[in-house]
Amino acid sequence: MKTSIMKAIALILSADAELLDILGVTAEMSLQSSVIALLIGVPIGIWLGASRFYGRSALLVANRTLMGMPPVVCGLIFYMLFSGVGPFRHLKLLFTVKIMIMAQVVLITPIVVGSMEGYVDRVAPAVRETAKGLGLGRVKTFFLLVNECVYQIISTYLLAFARSIAEVGAVSMVGGAIAWKTNVMTTAIMQYTNRGNFTLGIALGIILLTISLIVNIVISLLQRRLSR
Amino acid sequence: MKINAFTKTYEGRRVLDFPGMELERGKIYAVIGANGSGKSTFAKILTGVQKADKGRVHTDAASVGYMPQKNFAYRMSTKANILLAGKNEEKARRLMAELQLGHLENKRADRLSGGETARMALARLMMKGFELVILDEPTAAMDMETTMLSERLILDYVKETDCALVLVTHSLQQARRIADHALYFHKGQLLEEGSADKVLYTPEKAETRQFLEFYGA
Ligand SMILES: Nc1ncnc2c1ncn2[C@@H]1O[C@H](COP(=O)(O)OP(=O)(O)O)[C@@H](O)[C@H]1O
Ligand SMILES: [Mg+2]
Repeated sequence: MKTSIMKAIALILSADAELLDILGVTAEMSLQSSVIALLIGVPIGIWLGASRFYGRSALLVANRTLMGMPPVVCGLIFYMLFSGVGPFRHLKLLFTVKIMIMAQVVLITPIVVGSMEGYVDRVAPAVRETAKGLGLGRVKTFFLLVNECVYQIISTYLLAFARSIAEVGAVSMVGGAIAWKTNVMTTAIMQYTNRGNFTLGIALGIILLTISLIVNIVISLLQRRLSR
Repeated sequence: MKINAFTKTYEGRRVLDFPGMELERGKIYAVIGANGSGKSTFAKILTGVQKADKGRVHTDAASVGYMPQKNFAYRMSTKANILLAGKNEEKARRLMAELQLGHLENKRADRLSGGETARMALARLMMKGFELVILDEPTAAMDMETTMLSERLILDYVKETDCALVLVTHSLQQARRIADHALYFHKGQLLEEGSADKVLYTPEKAETRQFLEFYGA
């Protein structure tokens, strides 16, 4: 055990080529998917939180359902759509980083929507009432609302990134964990552990935990700034 | 200026039944009454932040300013908050000085105390002129000194802008100090209304007299 950890640390320090490739693919996938999910999810979340219309609660229930969707189910759906028998097979996206990003976006966007909706639902009434009392227009009111959301958007992004980097079920199904192509940290850990090669797995585990630690420190610092 | 008649029902319970009235510019109208008598509901419906049972616009005022009972500070400095309603730096500085906010100018407004937030909100509203202004218990969180400063400012503001000002207050003393007219709300009814001298000293209705006695008249 101890020697495995030492070996893992040595591997990280030696900047092993395969390790670097896995880190690169992971970064590409999780950064892109979390940014896309943020760009889609934040406007929807703010809209759902700030407005009242017929069918809103149905949309919220649908979103909560999507938030709870098991990643492997998402992976299965994408696999069926893009595999050799699926309607989108000609796009040849199966086992590429692109389809991994797409599956991740489907998994993460509902989380972004839910996080933003809950927050905006709490602050919007006061923001609106106050703006109306001051005779401010719709555009200015909207910017004031967005201004109240800044920290929430940042911490939501970090949450989305953390989810994306830690996901394994969907990305292994649609990405196939192909070495030097679609292997990310989580899928590589599974793969190498199955092969009995613990060193690379432990090295990746250490890196993942470190990233997660950093993300969570930043989130908690933000939350401290947010708390009134 | 006219306020139309309206009613407000929450969950099947009628909480306000307002018969309508005329407001004169340049005058202060105190709204007094026990907790839950419908004062804030009245203020919110006049402002339009809440709908009445029927219809939406209940006054023919061209512009309505409103300071809610629970004030909200935007996540920016005190000064930036105050400048939201009008970009006049000099006026902002004067209002901050008059309300003893000068030393808090650059402080994040969402970290002000209750009384400080109320003073900020009053200054913020006064950056702009309106035909009708509604203040919902503006001094409830303030100490005596800043309450007096605020009352002075309210009187000046009404004179300067020639607005009609509705002052919801739980302080009978305050109503007596600065109001020209008074409205007494009792269980959602406008029970008595008239000049401040009359309603706040020698009311007609037994309920109003009882209310005044409670407040040590
Ligand atoms: N959003 C609401 N939903 C249900 N009941 C409400 C709501 N707002 C106010 N009420 C009720 O309406 C009545 C009048 O409230 P309010 O106008 O706030 O009284 P006041 O300001 O005179 O203390 C109270 O009985 C209160 O409980
Ligand atoms: Mg009230």
